[in-house]
Order: sequence, then structure tokens, then C-alpha cells
Amino acid sequence: MKRKLIAAIGVVGMLAGVAACGSGDDGDAKTGADGFKGQTLTVWAMDGSTPDGWTKDVTAAFEKKTGAKLKFEVQQWNGIQQKLTTALSEANPPDVFEIGNTHTPAYAETGGLADLTDLKKEIGADWTESLNESSVVDGRQYAAPWYFANRVVIYNKSVFKEAGVTAPPKTRDEFFKALDAIKAKGKAEPVYLPGQNWYFFDGLLIGKGADLVKKDGDKWVSNLADPKVGEAMALYKKYADYSKAPKDKDEATPQQADVFAKGKTGAFFGMGWEAATAIKANPAIEKEIGYFTIPGDTADKPEGVFLGGSNLAVAEGSEKKELAKEFLKIALSDTFEGQLAKEGGVIPNKDALQDQLAGNAAAEAAAPAAKVGGTTPLIPEWAAVENAPSPIKAYMTAFLNGKSHAEAAAQVEGEFNKRLAQKQ
Amino acid sequence: MNRSLLGRIWPNATAVVLVVLCVFPVYWMFATAFKPTPDIVAEDPVFFPTDITFEHFETAVNAENFLTLVGNSLTVTVLAVLFSLVLALAGSFALARMRFKGRRGFVVGFMIAQMAPWEVMVIAIYMIVRDADMLNSLVPLTLFYMVMVLPFTMLTLRGFVAAVPRELEESAMVDGCTRPQAFVRVILPLLAPGLMSTSLFGFITAWNEFPLVLVLNKQAEAQTLPLWLSQFQSQFGDDWGATMAASSLFAIPVLVLFVFLQRKAVSGLTDGAVKG
Amino acid sequence: MTVQTERPPARPTEDTQRADGGPHPRGARRRPAALAPYLLLLPAVVATLLLLGWPLVKNGMLSFQNLNMRQLIQHLTEWNGVDNYTEVLGSSDFWRVTGRSLLFTATNVVLIMVLGTLTGLLLARLGRRMRVTLLIALVLAWAMPVIAATTVYQWLFAQRYGVVNWLLDRAGFHSMADYNWTGDQLSTFFVITVLIVWQSIPFVAINLYAATTTIPKELYEAAALDGAGAWQGFTSVTLPFLRPFLYATTFLEVIWVFKAFAQVFAINQGGPDRLTEILPVYAYIEGIGNQHFGMGSAIALLTIVILLAMTSLHLRIVLKQGEDEL
Repeated sequence: MKRKLIAAIGVVGMLAGVAACGSGDDGDAKTGADGFKGQTLTVWAMDGSTPDGWTKDVTAAFEKKTGAKLKFEVQQWNGIQQKLTTALSEANPPDVFEIGNTHTPAYAETGGLADLTDLKKEIGADWTESLNESSVVDGRQYAAPWYFANRVVIYNKSVFKEAGVTAPPKTRDEFFKALDAIKAKGKAEPVYLPGQNWYFFDGLLIGKGADLVKKDGDKWVSNLADPKVGEAMALYKKYADYSKAPKDKDEATPQQADVFAKGKTGAFFGMGWEAATAIKANPAIEKEIGYFTIPGDTADKPEGVFLGGSNLAVAEGSEKKELAKEFLKIALSDTFEGQLAKEGGVIPNKDALQDQLAGNAAAEAAAPAAKVGGTTPLIPEWAAVENAPSPIKAYMTAFLNGKSHAEAAAQVEGEFNKRLAQKQ
Repeated sequence: MNRSLLGRIWPNATAVVLVVLCVFPVYWMFATAFKPTPDIVAEDPVFFPTDITFEHFETAVNAENFLTLVGNSLTVTVLAVLFSLVLALAGSFALARMRFKGRRGFVVGFMIAQMAPWEVMVIAIYMIVRDADMLNSLVPLTLFYMVMVLPFTMLTLRGFVAAVPRELEESAMVDGCTRPQAFVRVILPLLAPGLMSTSLFGFITAWNEFPLVLVLNKQAEAQTLPLWLSQFQSQFGDDWGATMAASSLFAIPVLVLFVFLQRKAVSGLTDGAVKG
Repeated sequence: MTVQTERPPARPTEDTQRADGGPHPRGARRRPAALAPYLLLLPAVVATLLLLGWPLVKNGMLSFQNLNMRQLIQHLTEWNGVDNYTEVLGSSDFWRVTGRSLLFTATNVVLIMVLGTLTGLLLARLGRRMRVTLLIALVLAWAMPVIAATTVYQWLFAQRYGVVNWLLDRAGFHSMADYNWTGDQLSTFFVITVLIVWQSIPFVAINLYAATTTIPKELYEAAALDGAGAWQGFTSVTLPFLRPFLYATTFLEVIWVFKAFAQVFAINQGGPDRLTEILPVYAYIEGIGNQHFGMGSAIALLTIVILLAMTSLHLRIVLKQGEDEL
């Protein structure tokens, strides 16, 4: 029966094997198309993660296939950590939830995430290895890679043109030359870069091959004093010196796209969709916006980027784990993963779907860098380091305010190590 | 003569300065809510919005479940204030008018209760409510808000009750009223300003509460407005326009209540004192 | 809006009257109703014990546990004795934050009380129209939601698009055009203090004004007959009359300022470099932000202890007051 249903919907044929999924590890929840009738699966997605069309189509496909209801609950960013932690301790946690890749190892360690190793075997053979890394802890799969994004240069074409730069820079040197030209022209701020855009800095670290943590015996400790970190920070400063942005704020206050929208900024480092924020603030800016990959040493080797991303996890406390897995199989299928990439302009979890990004200028600019992208250290201890007030941001501000790399690193290393050593 | 002219000018001049200082941030909130985004983030601040837009209000009002949250917020806040008023009225009468053993102990007890650091007790409260299986309900929220404002209400009302001349009550009792009757007929009307001021305080406290509702009520249907208010600030950037529009809307009930009740509270207090 | 006063404003005249009034009739009626006060207090006490006492006890228990994300999610109870307390009390951070909190509270409360009292006295001196205008202005400031107030202030003092820097620049202080208010400890505290004082003055001023309206005119007339000038009138009549009110208000402001979490956290998250963390912010960052809930509970309890110590003088006065005060 189930076979027929699936065939009828025409979802990827390979899913047919799923019929034998009733492993019974979730107690009395019944499986099979009929078994799910009357149940409701709750999915937490972060604000901005789920484009309308995708949500509608996935819901329809899920409900048709399983007979169960699907409820998306959009979560706000404010206080999400406390919300998620407490929710996972409840009798009725969200069955499936979106979780940032940098947070996944920490949550995997808490026992709050269900083991998805068998699901990976079933549908994850072609997941991009580097994107799947954050979901794997001690050889077990605790989440499924969902979508990824990395920063690009979003620039104002007419500002560049006025300064005599007609083609987007291909190398870092060309980029700096362009910024010099804009500066010389004196009519616009060449680039907007506040002092604490830490994920952009992480990209530069990745570009330099610098590591933020190192192993000391069986403990992780700060590696901030490494000269390579200093090199990356010096490069950051070189960019930041073109900007009048505050040295102790991040890109959210004020929202960098709002600043850019005024038309007096040459470029900023942002996610492709931040352009939409700028356009909302000032529709006239739309025709001026262009994108290019953050350039590196040479044209064929872009700058390193932080691959921000979201995984989908199943709550260990969920009573509907089988249904949750059904959802993952649908949501992560080529059809819908592709649709999400196309609609949201985000990098999908497998290379084969990259072609969905064609025609999306921002995503096309992002894609080349994704190959050289990286993340934050994927260790459970890491999440604590990024909690506000972040010692890394403090380091960045100290450096930009004139401290040497060694001084700035020394200033925050105590806090950094304390965070890494926190009891779990 | 010079001196008396000066004597008349400086209080008014100071008052004008104070008015400007008090009102400017509030004005800025309302004004920003009506400005198009390019005017919000501006090298030269736009003091008087010329180009008025309602888009920020649309963003704010069109947020999901807005009306449900308005209903929840009103329910929780009004009930919490009412309950605390009832409990505090009874208690404050005893504290202000009766002699009994341990009275001062009770007073000090409520003073200590006022020191409770609620924000950092959130996890303890959360675990209690979770283990009692009462999450996603307005009941615990109402009860906790009630207790948050109860000590203040109790102690303040006690002052007001004590301020009512005993003779008024006693003469009513001489006229054949029982003590409860005397309370309702004589004291209660004189307490009006006290009731109003404490309910305002309670209203603001409960209306603004964020950390508790964040963890207790995760289902959208059981949430309150502070969560809505905070959603326009995310890690990808603060939507200042929408935040200000939402804040303006959020402040309106309090402002209306305030301006309306404050006049009564102040004048009522004065009247009461004159009568006494 | 008025605060509780140990001796409410209308009392002095009343006391004099009563002293002349001979034996009090109330003693006779007390005995049959000996239980009445307890019954009247019962609901409030039960509610407080249940909804505040219980969480406090729970919080106390958590403070002896190693409670982090994992333990919370899996409902594990890991007792760790007084580890949390030794760790907190043994860290120099905690003591630095405590000292800073005391200084912060003292500064703000003094500013609030002085400026609030002056504003209240000013209200009493103003003509009706100006007074109503100022009252409404105060009320507007008071009613502004905290989240809105903090956002607006953050932005008034923003380095680049802030109104304050713009005004200073226009006023001729060009070096302030790009001044970074949140760049160091003192200037961050300055912004926070302006915000807190701005939010707190209305409460003090309006109350104080309300209290002054209850001062019987006869007292001033009597003082004037004795040849008192304006200043003596103030010190011999106004001030003594307002003293209990000022005590009570100061007590409340101490508690409120000490607990001012939202304002301090919103302006600069306790930064730069954790230099503007006060105790509640510290408790929040260590406990909730870092999800070290046991540790957070221990700091929360220590916060209460410190607050109790700070206000113990006031509490002792209340406890020591003779029954006849009533």
C-alpha cells in the first residue's frame, strides 16, 4: 500500500525502500501510511529559513504521503537557545527542529538529539561531506544537513563605475585598488565593515588556514595567539580601515543593509538575501546592486568564507521519530532540497543540486567560495565561546583600536579558555 | 523686582527643559515609526518626518498571531493586577489597621519578597511549571505575574489605608456599620488613588515581562506581546522601524491608562488629604 | 502613584489629633477578631510562599547541582555540593562585579533621589498649566516600554547615526562627532545611568509632588509666624514631613536599580570587555546565557543576600518600630 502511494506521488523512487522502516525504537507510535493518520508533526524553523512556496509544497507532499498533519512553527532568534534547551527537556518537544551547524555538536552532546545514523545510510550517501561534518559526533549522525550560505561582496554598481571600476574585482589586490579608487573619489564610503563582523573574520581565518583552538592534552584551548590569526586580523583591519563603521558593533546594529541602501556605500560583506533588506529600505537601490565572490590571492582561489548553515535534527524526546524521519526524507529529497536552493538562493546539501542556483546572481557569486569554505571549530565546547559577550569579538575590537595582535589575544584568552573548559 | 521676575522665570524654564528631556526619546520612538527606512538611518537625523509611511506598522501588525497575543497579554495582565489588588487589599488592611503578633514580620517579609531577582530565577520556575505539566498555559503566567507585583501593591496600599483617618471609619461604625461595611463604604473610596497607582505599576510590570514567558509558553497560541516586540530584532539586524512601530503600539495601552489614571491618582490623593 | 511610607503623609496631623482623643475604642473590638488579621493576610501569604517561596527553594536546590544543558534535557540531578559557590566566591570576577554593582546602585540612587526630589518640588511651584504639561511628560517617559527605551537610547548614543553625537558636533564639539559611547567603561555607564535616571525620575517626582500636596498649609503659616524664611520653611516643615516618604522611596529605588538588568544588558551586553556587568547581568551571562543553570542559581541567591545586606538598615528600622507607630 505504501509503495503504491509513493509511486503515485512520484517522489523520488529510491524512497520506496522506506516501507520497511518500522524499527520500533520509538515505542507505541505506529508506522506506515495509515499509522500516522491523526498525528501532527511539529517542525521548528527559524525566521527566514522557509520560503513560502517551499513550505506549502513540502506540507502538501508530507500530508499526502503520510496522512499526518504538518505544523511549521517559525521561531524568532531572540532567546532561541534557552527556548530550544528547555523545549528539548519537555514531554512534547518539537519533533523536528532547525539547528545551526556551529551549535549542533554541543546539542548532540546533551543527548537531546535523536540518532539519525540509519537515515544517513538511507538518504545521505550523496550529502556533501564538508557540509555534513557538523552533524557527526563520535561517528554518529545527530542531524541532517539542510542548507548553507556564505558571504559575498554586495556592491553598488554605480559607485564602482563612478570610481572607474567597471568590472568586479577578481583578486584581492584588484579589490583593494577599487576601494582606493572609491576612496579617492571621496563621494562614498568604499566599504561598510563594522569591527565585529565575526563571521567575515572567520572566513579570513579559514583563508589563512588559521585554527582558533588547539588540543592541549585532552583539552581544547585557545589558539588565538597564533600569528596566522593575527595575519587574518590584519587583513580584516585593512578592509575595516576603509569604513567609518563603529569598531565595537557587529553588522546588525545598525543593520548593514540599511546603511548600504542609502546608496553612499561601495560594498559590504553580507548574505545574498541581505540585498532584499536593502531593497525594502530603498527600492531605488535595486538596479544598482551587484554581487561578486569575495576575492582571494588569485582569480581562481577565492577568499575563505564561513559556511553558515542549518541542519535539521529530530528530538530524542519526540514520540513521533518515525514520522519525523518521513518528514526529513521528503524535505531533503532532491525535489524539495532543490526547490529550497532555488527559492531561497541557498547552497543545497549535495553538489548535484548546485545547478538550481543558476540565474540567482547572489548565489552564483557565493558558490565558488563555498568550496573553500569552512566553519567554526566543530567541537561541543565551541558553542559556549560564541555566547555573548564573545571573547573573539572583544579581540577584534581591541585589535582595531590599536592593540597589537599579541596584546589583544592575551587580553581575551583567559575568558576564551574558561568558555572552552566549561563543564558540560 | 528683578529677583521676583527671575523667580517666576526659572521654574518655568527648568520645566520646559525637563519636558523636552522627558519627551524626546518618546517622541523619537513615535516619529521613527513613521519614517521610511532611509530617513531612520541618516547622517543628519530627521527630526520631523516629512515623508510619512505606515509600512513599519504594517510589518508589526501583520506579524503572525498578533491578535492572539494581544488577547493573551490583556488577559494575563489584567487578571494578575486584579488578583494582586484583591489579595493586597485584604492584607494591607490588616497590616495598617490591626494589631497582632508578627505584624512587622509580615511587613519585612513582603519587603524582602520585593527583592526577588525574577530574571535569574527563570530556570527554577520553569522546572516547577514543567514538572507540574502546566507549560503553554496562561494560568501559571498570571499567577507568577500576580506575585511579582503583590509585595509592592501590598506595601503601597498599606500606606494608603493608614493614611485614611481612623476617625472616618470609626464614625461610620458608630453609625451602625459593621467593620467590613465601614471598609467598603468609607475606606475603599478613599483608596481609589492608591488602587490606581498600584494597578498601573502592576500593569507595566506584567505587560513588559519577557524572560519567563519565553521559556514557559513556547506555543504561539499561549504567548504574549513582549515576544512579538522582540522579534523585529534578530541576529541578522534590527529592524528599527518595525521595532519602533511595535513599541509605539505596545506603549499605547500603558500610556492611555497612565494619562487617564494618573490625573485621578494625583488629584484623588490631594482630595483625600484635604478631606482628612 | 505613591510608595508605601512607614509614616504616610497624612499621619502627623492625625497623630496629634489622636493624642488628644482620649481612650481608643478599638481595643474592645479586637479580641473576638483576634484571628481576623491572619485570615486577611492568609491569601497573600500563601500565594507568596507558593509562587515565590517555592521557586526560591528550588533555586536553592539547583545551586548545589551541576546543571547544564545535558542535565536539564535528560532530567538528571547531579549534586555537586558547594562547588558552584566555591567557584563563584573564589573568582575575582564575582567580587569585582559586586563592588561595581554597589557603586553603580549608589550613584544612580543618589542621582535619582536628588533630581527626582528637585523635580517634585518644582512641580509644586509651577502654575497649573505648566505643571500638567510636565506631569504628562514625566508620565510619557515612565510608560515607555523598557525594550523601546533601551533601543532608542542605544541609538541616540550610537557612534555614527546617533542624535547625541550629531548635536554635540553641531554645538561645536567636533571631536565628539564620532565619539564611541560604548567604547569604554565610564562612558558606557554614563549612557546606562542617563537611561535609568531618565526612567526613574518620574516615579520619584510624581510621588514627591503628591506627598507635598498633603502638607497642611497651617504648618507653613506657623513657621512663617515664627519668622522662618523660605529656606527654613523648607528645612523645618517640608523636609521632616517628607522624610518617611524619602526613606521608603530610596529603599525601592535601591532594589530597582540594583536589579536593573534589561537596561544594562541592552545598552552594551555588559561590555566593553565585561566591564559594565553588574550582578544581575553577571548572573544572567554565567547562568542563562552560558546555560550553566546551577551556577546561575548560586549567583542568584548570592544576589539576594547582597541586596538584603544593602537594605538591612531599612529593614531593621521597620522591625524595630514600636507597635504604637501604628
